[in-house]
Parts: sequence; structure tokens; C-alpha cells
Amino acid sequence: MLRRERSAHSNPCRRARQPGSGDIEAQLIRRACEGDGRAVRALYDRYSPRVYAVVRRIAGDDDLAEDYAQEAWIRAIRALPSFRGEARFSTWLHRIAVNSALQAVRKEKTRRKREAPLPDVIPVPPRMGDTLMQRKLEEALAQLPDGMRKVLILHDVEGYTHEEIGTALGVTSGTSKSQLFKARAKMRRMLRGYENETHLKEIEAWSV
Amino acid sequence: MERLNLEQLARLVDERPTPDERAVLEGDPALRRELKELRSQTEALGNLPAVLPPPGGWHDLEKKLQAEGLIFGGRDTGRPWRKWLQAAAALVIFVGGTAFGWVTGSAPAGQASADVGTEPASFASLDEATAAVHDATRQYLAAYGGWRQLISAQGQQRRTRDPTVYLAGIETLMAASRAAVEEAPDDRFLNEMYVRVVAEREQIIRQASSDWR
Repeated sequence: MLRRERSAHSNPCRRARQPGSGDIEAQLIRRACEGDGRAVRALYDRYSPRVYAVVRRIAGDDDLAEDYAQEAWIRAIRALPSFRGEARFSTWLHRIAVNSALQAVRKEKTRRKREAPLPDVIPVPPRMGDTLMQRKLEEALAQLPDGMRKVLILHDVEGYTHEEIGTALGVTSGTSKSQLFKARAKMRRMLRGYENETHLKEIEAWSV
Repeated sequence: MERLNLEQLARLVDERPTPDERAVLEGDPALRRELKELRSQTEALGNLPAVLPPPGGWHDLEKKLQAEGLIFGGRDTGRPWRKWLQAAAALVIFVGGTAFGWVTGSAPAGQASADVGTEPASFASLDEATAAVHDATRQYLAAYGGWRQLISAQGQQRRTRDPTVYLAGIETLMAASRAAVEEAPDDRFLNEMYVRVVAEREQIIRQASSDWR
């Protein structure tokens, strides 16, 4: 088995610094970079919910999300020696997860196109324990066409700028904006439908 | 400008309206309400919570990372169930040794346990640890079965064991095996072991209460 062994002066793992984060995380990153499984586990425990959430929303599918999240982690651990600490570790990891998921979705789409026609909308089943509104939002997100969903997730959920989205998706920032406004409007229509439905149910309940 | 459509309103969630748009908004309360709803929707999206990955994700990832040489293996690479398996194995060996000592009468319980080793054993893999627990359980059950036969044959020796000590041992074994099951819920052997220990505990409690009556 290969093992990352580097001398202290040439070891890129030792160069990693964490702006604004505690020494503990910096140590974890350094140890993870050197191949310490326990340190990787600690980072995984800390950040896997956020990584999984963004990957799942981009993938729009639970099974795929699991694979994509694992791939994202493998990429991140591979790339740890290049982590310079210029951004927060969480931000750095998050970018890797997003890029990894976007690339995986593209690959999957190509693969499925070759095999059979792929519907543009892939529903994500809601998870137990979500609040009703969150569940409705997740459901509506899953109903969006692929391109709109990615832009909306990256902009409104993850806080990316249009320039960053453009780079990640290979589109212009103008396209990103236009997709975002369409996505918001579509979401609003879907949620408005849900509100009306809920309102009708409430009226029915009162009339019983 | 006649009216703003939903996409134009969606743009105004984070952009300033033009003077024309502002005029339209000011004259239309329904549009203002709709813009407010769009802003709430955007805010709610930004507050969507993180999602826990499915259980077992780490173990799969760990295998892949090890296969790639990105993390090194060896003992205790972040697998808490290993500790529990080791503890369970050590405990089973301890209890088994003690029971065996009682059966043979060759040594006091403490000495018997010292002979078999109270130090938790170390294992290189899950298979090795599971096999050790399995063997130790088999030995324990055989010894305990023999001990029971002996006790029933020699009725008067029934009280030679201290039920409190024995129950404490069973309680510890139950905690260890329960933790092992929580770590590896699909493992048949660990589940069986847990069920056996629970059943044994129940029997000890029933027996003790009938003795005290």
C-alpha cells in the first residue's frame, strides 16, 4: 500500500494553514494529509452532512448522491497536499464537492443518454424529519429542470456568485442569471400551488 | 410598463428595480406581496439544512481510501466498533476463563481470568476480531454448560458463585455486545451474541429472585 511520507521541509501537508479556524482543525488537516485515517474520519464526521446535502441536491437522486459524495471525498483527500489554507477548509471542500458532483452528473447524463432517453426531472424523495416547508422546497427543487436546478442550488442555497456558477457550469454569468430567475419563478409557481392545496385542505377540514 | 411577470419579480429579489418597475410595484399591492413571497422563498432556500449521509458511508469510503493508499490502515483507523469487538472478545475470554476455572476447580476465578489474559486482544482485521469473539463465545458457552451440569449434579454447590459478580459481568457483556450491534447492525453473529447475553441476563435475574424468595 502506498503511503504519503514526506520530509518535513518538503511536505506540502505542513504548509496547510487554516484562516480563522482553530488549531485542532489545522492539525486534523495536516494529519489527514499525511494519511492518518482517524483524522480523515474526524473531518468526515464534521463535514459530511454539508457535502452530502449539496451533492444530493445537485444529483437529485439518493443512490447517485451516495456515490458522488464518496467520489468528492476521495478527490478532496487526494488534493489535500494542494490545500494552502487560502480559503477555509470547509469552503475548499465544498467547491470540490460541487465540481465533483457537477462532473458526475454530466457523465451520468451522457451515459444514460447513450442507453435510454432520460427524463429531465428526477424526483428526490423527501427525508424523514424534515419540516414540512423544507420538504416542499426540496420537492420543488427536484421538479426543476436540471440546468435551472443547478443554478438555483448554487446561487440561492450555496451562495455562489453568477461568475462562480458560470465557471463551474461552463456558461456565461448572463445565462446563469437568466436561469436563476426562471428557476425562482418556477419554484414560486409550484409552491403557490402547494399553498392553494393546503388552503383547500384546511377549508375542507373546517367544513367537516 | 404594464405589469411585471414572475421572472422579472424574481430578478428583483436581489437587484434594484428600475424607476419604471418601482412605479409598477408601488401601484400594485399583489405584486409587492408576490415579491415578498419570492424573497421568503429565497431566504428559505438559503436556510435549507445539511443532510446526514446514509449510515455506513464512512466504512465504504475508508475502504476506498485505503485501497488508493490515501490513508494508512493498521489498528484503529477510526473504526469504533473494533474497540467494542476487542472489549467484547476480552470480556468473553474473561468470563469464559472464570467459568472454566469454576468448573475445573483448578484455580480461583481471578487467577483463571489472569491466565487467559485480561488485556484486550489486538486484531488486524474485523474478520480476525470476529473470529476471536466467536471462538471465545464457544469456549464460554461450553464451559458454562459444563458448569451448569456440574451444579445441577451437585445441587449443594449452587451457591458457590456470587450472583452479584456474575450479573455485573453479564451486564458489562451486554453493554459491549449492544454497542457492537449498534456499530454493525447487520452482523448476524453480533446480533445472536447480544440476544444470548440478554436471555442469559433475564435467566440470572429470574433465578436470583426465586433464590431470594
